[in-house]
Amino acid sequence: MEDKKDIKRMLESEILPGVLKPLRYVGNEYNAVKKDWSAVNLRSLFAFPDLYEVGMSHLGLSIIYHVVNEQPDFLMERVFAPWTDMEKALRERDIPLFSLESWRPMADFDCIGFTLQYEMSYTNILNMLDLGRIPLKSKERNDDYPLIMGGGPCASNPEPIADFFDVFVLGDGEEAILEVLRVISNHRLARGGKQDKKTLLRELARLRGVYVPAFYEPVYIAGGGLKEIRPIDPAAPRRVVKRVVRDLDGAYFPQKPIVPYLEVVHDRVMLEVLRGCTRGCRFCQAGMIYRPVRERSLDLLEKQAEKLVAATGHNEISLTSLSTSDYSCVETLVTRLVEKYEKEKVGVSLPSLRVDSFSLELARQVQRVRKTGLTFAPEAGTQRLRDVINKKVTEQDLLEVTTAAFQAGWTQLKLYFMIGLPTETAADLDGIVELAYKVLHCGLEILRRRNDPRQPRITISVSSFVPKAHTPFQWEAQDDLRTLQEKQKYLKERIRDRRIVYNYHQAELSLLEAVFARGDRRLGAVLMKAWQKGCRFDSWTEQFKWQAWLEAFEEEGIDPAEIACSARGYDQVLPWEHLDMGVTKQYLWREREKAYQTAITGDCRDEACVLCGACQSLGAGMVLRNEGKGHAAQNQIC
Amino acid sequence: MLLRIKYAKTANGRFLSHLDLLRTMERAFRRAGLPLAFSEGYNPHPRISYASALAVGVTSEGEYLDVELREEVPLALIRQRLDSAMPPAVKVLAVKRLAGKGESLTALVNMARYSVITKPPQPISAQEVRQAVARTLSEPAFWVVREGKKGKRRVEIKQGVFSLRAEPRGELLVMEMDVRTGSEGNVKPEEVVDMLAIVGNISPGEVLSVHRIGLFIRDDQGIKSPVE
Repeated sequence: MEDKKDIKRMLESEILPGVLKPLRYVGNEYNAVKKDWSAVNLRSLFAFPDLYEVGMSHLGLSIIYHVVNEQPDFLMERVFAPWTDMEKALRERDIPLFSLESWRPMADFDCIGFTLQYEMSYTNILNMLDLGRIPLKSKERNDDYPLIMGGGPCASNPEPIADFFDVFVLGDGEEAILEVLRVISNHRLARGGKQDKKTLLRELARLRGVYVPAFYEPVYIAGGGLKEIRPIDPAAPRRVVKRVVRDLDGAYFPQKPIVPYLEVVHDRVMLEVLRGCTRGCRFCQAGMIYRPVRERSLDLLEKQAEKLVAATGHNEISLTSLSTSDYSCVETLVTRLVEKYEKEKVGVSLPSLRVDSFSLELARQVQRVRKTGLTFAPEAGTQRLRDVINKKVTEQDLLEVTTAAFQAGWTQLKLYFMIGLPTETAADLDGIVELAYKVLHCGLEILRRRNDPRQPRITISVSSFVPKAHTPFQWEAQDDLRTLQEKQKYLKERIRDRRIVYNYHQAELSLLEAVFARGDRRLGAVLMKAWQKGCRFDSWTEQFKWQAWLEAFEEEGIDPAEIACSARGYDQVLPWEHLDMGVTKQYLWREREKAYQTAITGDCRDEACVLCGACQSLGAGMVLRNEGKGHAAQNQIC
Repeated sequence: MLLRIKYAKTANGRFLSHLDLLRTMERAFRRAGLPLAFSEGYNPHPRISYASALAVGVTSEGEYLDVELREEVPLALIRQRLDSAMPPAVKVLAVKRLAGKGESLTALVNMARYSVITKPPQPISAQEVRQAVARTLSEPAFWVVREGKKGKRRVEIKQGVFSLRAEPRGELLVMEMDVRTGSEGNVKPEEVVDMLAIVGNISPGEVLSVHRIGLFIRDDQGIKSPVE
């Protein structure tokens, strides 16, 4: 059954015709890279622990896949989490999970890199390793198995999954991946294609940004928290500092990304205009761990857009980043792209908008080709709470921008809010309801005045606050499950208008997310149990097995509420304190204190340095390009 | 400028649905840098029309589409650019310039030719197969049940089976059939296999592959291809 040809035949004739969306598993897309296994020194696999449609929408995969494949002596293939029907078919016929390019089993590769985008994909990681017939735990994998690596935002607290990984890479992946693979490749070349795992891990631990969890030992206080996480190998640094791309213009970007046959979540050109965000929202992990802000220059972006449209044939260019309206040349870029591509009906889109009239003007520009809905994120219902979280948006801003949106012809608006934020009271929940109604009435009035027969439609998408590592709110307690559910119900009872759609996330999922965002290595056992009980695709509501999770916690003697719903003190050792993402603990605590004083902090792009420590820790600086406004480019290190 | 393009959906592309194919083609045209003509409105689409949808799992070496360009482009250049812009799922076979807007492809095409391979549970002799085909073709009518959105309905297919040939080849049974397609109704190749099984009283077994040899225009004068 291990014969490759047999597996391929069986898949094509018996399995794939019977599963949902077989294109998830067959590869062969335009721009996919297929290399000869005998012509390279290192065979690596990019593993995305979710469906193909989700993974293929991820810019990081595209960057890493192509930068590796451009090396003549390396190859990288892809594998995604198989949906439950495919998993069943593979298990029934005893076929190991295989890569899309060469249809080879996962275990044939020299190393496998999982991307860690969200905590709720962790059970899929275990499931994929198991389907690939690779022992789940690092210590159970001898020299013959591929090295299992992880990277991405969740690598900033990888402790809950530390047992299953050999290596984590912190920070910008394209900065580190070739060095990491070169070390693995040289190591194997020197040993006739074999690896000596312990030695290899030592070689890797010496690289900046590489964290080898087996070289660190957590020491617990009797009956509870952490005392310390201490290095136990001479090769392991005390603190691991994230990698950072200093100049985005010089960073690798793929010119010929893969074009899926299947419709994927983001089916468009992804043009990354900048990385990092310094708006300083106190709950936001991305806004803390991707600092400093580094913009791409206008000319380069235009060239990249042209290459990408020509190489993919997509009919939409999405200007991606954490906050695209903040790109200093965004107006010029949007104007130029819209003009350039209008004839060919290639649209330009902005993933999210800042709440101000400038952003709305941008949205009007980009809607010249295709008209879609608009999304804003006020995040909290009252000015007081918005000040607490440092979201510098006023009610007036929101009403001005929504008024202008209705006037410009939009009728569908979406507003993002969060419940369970520190210091929240009933007044803040009422504020969400009031804002929703104010926006609705504003729309009704404008539409009525111009005799527009359409109805406004306001979607209120409400998520629950999750305390995340490396944020000012990392010490904060999450509301307990019942409180979150009561708050969700409270809102539901007060939003009675059919023209307001109220969406909210399952509270159990937010609790689990907080547990894995803040937990330590003891959670590995819970994760293992939950997976054994059949948990997969936890972020897919219909697959989520809360009861199985509860049993797993119970059997391992771990109380999820203890991890998620209790506040931490400054002196308590947090499981990620040995991992340095740039911002300092002092800055984070200062921001937490200011939250309780309802005091806001400015953005270092237009005000003074806020002393977050990122530039100093990382030896990098903010890069703004003001060509669009006629200013000289600045490259300052604060 | 109006073009008619003949293309193949290859073995690599057999899991593409019709919708996947539409997206794939639009992107390939854009990659080829052809000046596509677009529909008006909020959500402009390129003016491409297809002869017929092909089911998931079915390959073909004779599919057709018409596409409109805003400007004149030399045919040889179009062909060359399309060839390098196509993904492995699709292969361009012919590009023809149309004189003007005639009848649409969907209105013209009324016959599909399929090759179907099955694996009979027991060997069937060439003679048995010949007899089964003869009995099937002399049958006046054959009713199948189709499940639609409004529930089940009975459809007569025999009138839409223009020809049927079959022969055993090793362990396999190989059939070739001409059936009705288009605005007058469609006959599915699997239904013809069922008819052969029931009327011909043989067991053709599991269908291993369905391949469309081509789409044709069939009238009193005979059968011709949409690019003839």
